Amino acid sequence: MRIRLLYFALVAEIAGCQHEEMEVGDATSAGEVLLKVVDRYPRLGTPGFQPLLAVNREHASPEREVREGDEVAIFPPVAGG
Amino acid sequence: MKPICSLQAAPIDTAGLIRRLVTPADGAVASFFGVVRREHLGRGVHHLEYHAYREMALLEMKRIARRLQREFKVERIGLVHRTGSLNVGEISVAVAVAAPHRKAALQACAAAIEAIKHHLPVWKREFFTDGGAPRWVLGSAEPQTPLAAAKKHEGGAEDGAEISGKERD
Repeated sequence: MRIRLLYFALVAEIAGCQHEEMEVGDATSAGEVLLKVVDRYPRLGTPGFQPLLAVNREHASPEREVREGDEVAIFPPVAGG
Repeated sequence: MKPICSLQAAPIDTAGLIRRLVTPADGAVASFFGVVRREHLGRGVHHLEYHAYREMALLEMKRIARRLQREFKVERIGLVHRTGSLNVGEISVAVAVAAPHRKAALQACAAAIEAIKHHLPVWKREFFTDGGAPRWVLGSAEPQTPLAAAKKHEGGAEDGAEISGKERD
């Protein structure tokens, strides 16, 4: 199935793009998606850097299962304010 | 009353925000304004650039406001965050809560800015007065972050150097 990936801030800078699509197997978790993305952009796996996840515009735990067409966002710890 | 939530490039009209919130039922308005400071970790800050996951940030603001309405029994909440380039001294975030009594207004206001700091998908990039390369400010990660959890599952190691600067309140 196909999902849409969004990257923000330092994650977008490392990936060199702000969004892309990815083909994943059924019953894939958000955490597994993150590991695939880290495989693609190894700098995201730099020890100490902790990317976070959102699925369909809501903070998500790595266990969250993703479905066809989901919007999975990967971003650094938030730093607003 | 529906909370006022806004993510905007334009300067924040703080007086206007408070005017829109206050009703004759209120005896208190608590507000917090975050301002761009001229230094961070000893380096001179020239300006900040705020980036947001816009669609999610607006939803998250509404989720935060509704949770605070329930938790503190307050109705009138305004949350505004800026995006884009901000100079030293500009207001980057504004929170205002109007309520019949001060205690609930103050508590909800304090909880609102904490929730924004921890949950709103917004990031900032620092540009320095010394002309050095701009740097992303990294917020404090949750104790159990996705990559840590996913790696732990695989038996990977976790500690190591920082990739960039940490946020300091």
